[in-house]
Amino acid sequence: MPAAEAVFRQEFPVKGGDFAKAGVVACKIKELLKELGLDAAIVRRAAIAAYEAEMNVIMYAREGRMDLAVSPEEVHITVDDRGPGIADVELAMTEGYSTATPEMRELGFGAGMGLPNIKRNSDVLHIDSRTGKGTRLKIIIRTDGHRTT
Amino acid sequence: MNTKSSHSIHITRDKCIGCVHCLAACPTRAIRVKEGKATIIDELCIDCGECLRVCPYEAIHSHTTSFAALDAFAYKVAIPSTVIYGQFGASVLPNEILSALRRIGFDEVYDLSSICELNCAATEEYLNEHARPRPFISSTCPVVVRLIQRRYPSLCGQILPIEPPREIAAKILRSILPKAVGVPAGKIGIIHITPCSAKMVSINSPATLNKSYLDGAISIRDIYPQILASLRKSEEDALMRHLFPETLFSGIGMGWSLSGGETRGLKSHRAVAVSGIQDTMRVLDQVEAGLLQDVDLLECAVCPDGCVGGPLEVENRFLAKGRILELVAAAGEHAVVDIRDVSRLYHKNFLSFDHPASPAESHPLDGDPARAIRKAKRREKLMALLPGKDCGVCGAPDCRTLADDIVRGFARLEDCPFVKGKKEKR
Repeated sequence: MPAAEAVFRQEFPVKGGDFAKAGVVACKIKELLKELGLDAAIVRRAAIAAYEAEMNVIMYAREGRMDLAVSPEEVHITVDDRGPGIADVELAMTEGYSTATPEMRELGFGAGMGLPNIKRNSDVLHIDSRTGKGTRLKIIIRTDGHRTT
Repeated sequence: MNTKSSHSIHITRDKCIGCVHCLAACPTRAIRVKEGKATIIDELCIDCGECLRVCPYEAIHSHTTSFAALDAFAYKVAIPSTVIYGQFGASVLPNEILSALRRIGFDEVYDLSSICELNCAATEEYLNEHARPRPFISSTCPVVVRLIQRRYPSLCGQILPIEPPREIAAKILRSILPKAVGVPAGKIGIIHITPCSAKMVSINSPATLNKSYLDGAISIRDIYPQILASLRKSEEDALMRHLFPETLFSGIGMGWSLSGGETRGLKSHRAVAVSGIQDTMRVLDQVEAGLLQDVDLLECAVCPDGCVGGPLEVENRFLAKGRILELVAAAGEHAVVDIRDVSRLYHKNFLSFDHPASPAESHPLDGDPARAIRKAKRREKLMALLPGKDCGVCGAPDCRTLADDIVRGFARLEDCPFVKGKKEKR
């Protein structure tokens, strides 16, 4: 990220278990990126990644925060949550693997596509998780549309 | 701002008193009150008619075709929306309504329910042949198409590329009638009778056709009194229509104007129907976030309960819906359209779009990304100065839109009465 004055930042709190607000933050992020003039395909990738990340916080964590930082070159979405953490990150990255409860599945969530979907739609994904404490996701999407991963 | 508008919704300045009803109702925040009068920002308007519904002063009207304008045509054809069958109470049959339209001056009138059935069968075929993307979104509601072009540009490719029944019907008639009735093509006027003004926009500036096959759209509200008067005068005709029904109505197509009606006839695909502008936007947001991929067809209608809730109908929509449901039940489930005809037209691409809907030009804060970021930051600072009451007195629908207008250079911070009041106190 370049110098602070060239970066647009905004924070969004996310409450764990608040399914009624599912997708609200991702939607706000999407609107902001459109207003900043990003290419529609980039906006859609960011919207999908942000939605999955937001849902992870709502489904598993007590509370969390999403930080958006946009420069002309990159979109960073950093998601911090206080929750159970991910015991085996590699396993969680497997398509179809999910720890969702039957109730979540009933609502149509927990198909085990969350993290893989974030990975697919971002250029860089860092996962830093501590069991029992929480998880930090760092998502980077480059605005030039060239994917390096 | 409104000089070369292709929109159907217009504001009569003399009647507008500059209140905030329409400001608050507009889902795309396309209205501003400037110098005491509401104005519509053309690029943002999707012609949904929400403003028209809420204006207490009848200052918002829609441009549809006038009955008198039909005199330009030697041979006048009406293809009314199936909504019309729900407008005249429980004892008037669809055949009587079609007959009344002939009496008031149309040379021929065609029912759309069979074409709705045809469209449904063609949609089924298209979904069978195209496994991706999911969900496809139906194009029947012209406002949904415009909404997608403007607010959900990445979904343009998910609009199912089969023309809606009104255009298909007009296209078929336009190709057959000149020979059949012996009138030159240019002298035949094919007119839709519509419960919403957005159909007029899709005729004047079609999103997926090079040119519309329709010559105009008359609002149900405008033509209602004439139909009613004609129905009242003709007890004998009513008896004739009861005893010798001419048109065979499709039960599959009859309910097309109700939410879920379009998708009800699909046999082997999962469909979801949404109605109302707010819910439509909510669901399209979800589709843009990658959801609903297990749904084959998404039917969206921005009017509540579907076209039957259109702003230009007369009967209250609950009664109209009840009546149409009776007609659906009476017509039954059997198909009236030969599936071989559908298949032939479908494979000739006769039912397809001329071209896909293209994304509308976007309106970022600034064309230059670095400047857009600076403006977004300034907007956040402005937001902190504004009261967040969304009162509309500044002329923008809410504080965020005012902040947006300020950084875009269309408004000033002093337009806010709270900010101005504070400054004056000092």
